[in-house]
Amino acid sequence: MRKYLRLHRIFVAQDLKKLMEYKVDFLMGAIGFVLVQAVKILTLGIIFSAIPALVYKVNGEVLDAWTFNEVLFIYGFSLIPKGVDHLLFDNLWGMGYWVVAKGDFDKYLTRPVNSWFYVLTEKFCVDAFGDLFVGIVLVAYSVFSMPAEIAADINWLRLIPVAFVLPFAIMIYTSIKTGTAAISFWTKRSGHITHMCYMTNEFASYPAKIYNNVVKTIITYILPFALTAYYPAIYILRGESPWSLAVTVGVSVALFLLSQLIWKLGIRAYESAGS
Amino acid sequence: MTKIKKYFPFTRAGIMESVTYRANFLFFLLGEIMKCFVMFFVWKAVFDSSSQETLYGFSYDNMVVYLFISFLSGYITYSDGSYAIGKEILDGSVVMRMIKPIDFDMCFLFQELGNKIISFCLIFLPITAGVEIYRFVINGRLMLDIPMLLLFLLSMVLAYGINFYFNLSYGFLAFFLKNLWGTDIIKGAVVDFLSGATIPLAFMGGFGYVLQFLPFASLSYTPVMIYMGLYSPWQIAFYMSLQVIWLVIFALISKLVLKLAMKRLVVHGG
Amino acid sequence: MENSMIHVENLHKHFKKAIKEPGLKGSIKALFKPDYSVVKAVDGIDFDVQAGEMIGFIGPNGAGKSTVIKMLTGILTPSEGFCRINGHIPTQSRKEYVKEIGVVFGQRTQLWWDLALRETYMVLKEIYDIPQEDYEKRMAFLNEVLDLEDFISSPVRTLSLGQRMRADIAAALLHNPKVLFLDEPTVGLDVVVKDNIRKAIKRINEESGTTVILTTHDLEDIELLCNRIVMIDKGKKVFDGELSTLRERYGQMRELSFELNRAEDLEKLTYQEKFNFAEDDFSVKAEGTGVKVRFNTEIASVENMLSFTLSKVHVKDISVKDADIEEIIRRLYKGGGEAK
Repeated sequence: MRKYLRLHRIFVAQDLKKLMEYKVDFLMGAIGFVLVQAVKILTLGIIFSAIPALVYKVNGEVLDAWTFNEVLFIYGFSLIPKGVDHLLFDNLWGMGYWVVAKGDFDKYLTRPVNSWFYVLTEKFCVDAFGDLFVGIVLVAYSVFSMPAEIAADINWLRLIPVAFVLPFAIMIYTSIKTGTAAISFWTKRSGHITHMCYMTNEFASYPAKIYNNVVKTIITYILPFALTAYYPAIYILRGESPWSLAVTVGVSVALFLLSQLIWKLGIRAYESAGS
Repeated sequence: MTKIKKYFPFTRAGIMESVTYRANFLFFLLGEIMKCFVMFFVWKAVFDSSSQETLYGFSYDNMVVYLFISFLSGYITYSDGSYAIGKEILDGSVVMRMIKPIDFDMCFLFQELGNKIISFCLIFLPITAGVEIYRFVINGRLMLDIPMLLLFLLSMVLAYGINFYFNLSYGFLAFFLKNLWGTDIIKGAVVDFLSGATIPLAFMGGFGYVLQFLPFASLSYTPVMIYMGLYSPWQIAFYMSLQVIWLVIFALISKLVLKLAMKRLVVHGG
Repeated sequence: MENSMIHVENLHKHFKKAIKEPGLKGSIKALFKPDYSVVKAVDGIDFDVQAGEMIGFIGPNGAGKSTVIKMLTGILTPSEGFCRINGHIPTQSRKEYVKEIGVVFGQRTQLWWDLALRETYMVLKEIYDIPQEDYEKRMAFLNEVLDLEDFISSPVRTLSLGQRMRADIAAALLHNPKVLFLDEPTVGLDVVVKDNIRKAIKRINEESGTTVILTTHDLEDIELLCNRIVMIDKGKKVFDGELSTLRERYGQMRELSFELNRAEDLEKLTYQEKFNFAEDDFSVKAEGTGVKVRFNTEIASVENMLSFTLSKVHVKDISVKDADIEEIIRRLYKGGGEAK
């Protein structure tokens, strides 16, 4: 493990150096990512200007409601595990889009290191700072501007279990990317499958209760992005559904093992390219 | 006619390219349409939360139609010539296009038309059918209005034209900007918002009203409003004329930018 | 052979390939009903290589060379049969195994495009757990043999092709592997660079005792470096033996070259009528008064050819040469499997 960390450090240093070299590119990219989020938040703001709070109604009966601050908190929180995965493990995208198709995966197999770890350590994606920045700012802003009666529900001790669960939440992103990227070992290209599964994370940015049962099941157990955002966030805010933290750990480990299995089998099926 | 005929092979190539990568295309589409479904539920909660039946003149059912039709028109009128051209400019391979006796914007246009034919076949029918079934179930009668549908298609063609020339001009800017990837993301975010693709312009009050006259609204808002039947005949006539005007303006701008860019290329010694 | 460095037995690799008919119609048909066929890229190959040997692994394009190399290096899993290198089955104990081999693919670098070369070697040092002391010694040796000093601080993307190849070879040798796989290490290089690289490979083989498997299309590489060649075609082995055996067995071709007094005299040389050569056994190339005749000595002996020529025309500068290896291999490729 220490070996991988030492390796990773070399690549991180390299990517940071490159960042300094192409300052404008980095700045434009980061501004871009921030703007994409800004537009979404602006949209949320416009929506909320028309309503007092977002409610969950069944048969006309209000079962739950979230204020603008709470929705912002959930939204901002969702960007944190997503951003960390993006920062550290972005190299997996290339696998399904071109690495396997062009036969470039060969080089990962001729080295005496775990090929999956090797792919992960090779890149440090600085663009992710845009997402992380927005996420942290939103979380902080939503807490500080919160009406006192809502803020009173927050118990900061709940951050301790959430901090423990956070790596598992990140792992959900990484495992979904790994499993779908490994499909390319059979099909040559699978980047679009990764894209499709990854986009499901859009559901995670809002309270999971507003979705119907099909969507709720998918985002909790199959492509469990809700476990990376809504559940831990609402737990911090209200202490609601503490069980979800255990589910996050369990589902994350299961997904991780599954993605590793697909990866292992995939390597056996790998056909390289040309002759 | 013969002048146009020589670009047909590009369209053919575009069609074949799309067919070859159709699986990728469908997966990509499924990923993108996910956002519509997210908003489908969010808007439901929003309308549940409001004491009124409509918000800024939109009922929930209007909103659903708006979501999917604006996704559809956004997808079909999308043009990525800017990125392709910009990349060729930056790596110098654009020279290969310039030495051939054809207009290179036309090459891109016709090739992209090939892609568009396939994506139109693959997504137009399912989405409009889905929306119409939804409207039928809600209203208890068929809401599809054939003349409106035809006007919608025409308005989409105009929107595509504007998008194409707008992106072309932007792509030519690569001669000066040197950075495309970052500015492309910025452009995408800004255009999405100002064109009403993320939220109807009606929701933005006075600012939204002003936006209706800008070219961005011509890209997405105008065709969608026509489809939904929310524009009066006079408004249709007005906003479609506006589309034509913007189309002409952007076609001219792209020619101008290309001219400037060419000069620059010569100065650099190709 | 239990104790050989490389043992390959009944090795097969089959690929499933989608068949697509050309044109728009074909694409649309493939949309609904894709057809597949099985390609036997490697179809039952056996050979052994002893420690310290340097063998040339050759064959025409698409013969299955790269596929074999990729199975030997653990990249591809064999469909049938197996290979064992220094006691390892590559795909079974991949991480252990690849510590003992070095791989260079001439067509594509294994270095990191943006890293400075020196940093690349630092990364490899970590990957292979090379102790600092060994690393320094090894770097010094490689630096001397491959002359890396001039560009060791440059990012890989700025290197010339020749520099990049030297850097790639050094990268493959840093951990002092027992076996070195070189897949077209001289492709696209100029004569001087080729020569340097060959010398370096030879030295490494001699001084470190590294076993070398070399695939190439440049037969000069083979002649200068390898004592033994293994040739495959259409996934099957067609020759395995010493270069000199190849020459003896298939080297019945000779080249007679001379200079005529007058170019028109060529018409008098009616070899074809006299000896009745088959098409493959004979060719004449004339350039002005200079003439080169290739012929098969099984049809006409050197003596007969000489005396016939001299009896018909006046010549200056007559000489007879062994056919070069290229000629032999050209004939073998054409003949396919039957040459076995």
